[in-house]
Amino acid sequence: MSVKQIIALPAVGIWHALFWTFERATWQYDLMVIAILAFVWVTPPEWLGDPMASGPGLVGLIARLIR
Amino acid sequence: MTFTGAIGATFLFPLRAIIAFCVALRIHPNILTLTGVIISAGAGWALAIGEFRTAGFVMLLANIFDFIDGKVADELKLSSRFGGFWDSVMDRFSDLFLLIGLIYLYASLGRADYVLITSLTLMFSVMTSYSRARAESIIPLCKVGFMERPERIVLFMIGAFTNRMAAVLWVILVLSVVTVLDRIYYTWRELRSDGHGAAA
Repeated sequence: MSVKQIIALPAVGIWHALFWTFERATWQYDLMVIAILAFVWVTPPEWLGDPMASGPGLVGLIARLIR
Repeated sequence: MTFTGAIGATFLFPLRAIIAFCVALRIHPNILTLTGVIISAGAGWALAIGEFRTAGFVMLLANIFDFIDGKVADELKLSSRFGGFWDSVMDRFSDLFLLIGLIYLYASLGRADYVLITSLTLMFSVMTSYSRARAESIIPLCKVGFMERPERIVLFMIGAFTNRMAAVLWVILVLSVVTVLDRIYYTWRELRSDGHGAAA
């Protein structure tokens, strides 16, 4: 793999994530699902102003522990 | 096997028993579809009163009916073009019940920001389905974009069970916008390459 191809890799990844053509139950689909679940469960609800959520979420919990 | 494939295979096991039960009773698939929509209305109500966990269980039940109707139709050899049309129309009602329930909830909490986000999610959820249906009246297939109905429904259930509905709404909204844009671009590209012309 050339340096040019390595540099272009993130852009290619973003393009494929946005212009989605993969089937379900592929490794690309798994990766997308993991990214979505990470966003849903890790993001502290107060960052999103969630009117209903309780608890700080994973990032909020870690932030509290560090403080 | 991928992990989403493994989850799908795990859930398929009990569903096969339910399908066999419905086939044995010769329940018409269109009745199953309608039952799913009526139960979805119940899930919308549970969301509207902020009972997320109850809504999650009701959504799970509604989507069992939604999943099995096509399979039961195949087993009973009752698949028809009307059945496909009926299923698609009822699916839209199910989606709308859930989102209207959330709009009611956020409105009653005085959260205009989330009323807007949920309304936009509703708009782009409908447009996701419409853009594919309209595209497939002029090109053979328009199956691009990540956020289709099964993804939306599973995300709704995750949001309800784990009380993270706001994050779920953001995900559905952003990915639905991307999916609609994907479908417009794909259809334009297909028509241009076919020589049918892509000008408005």
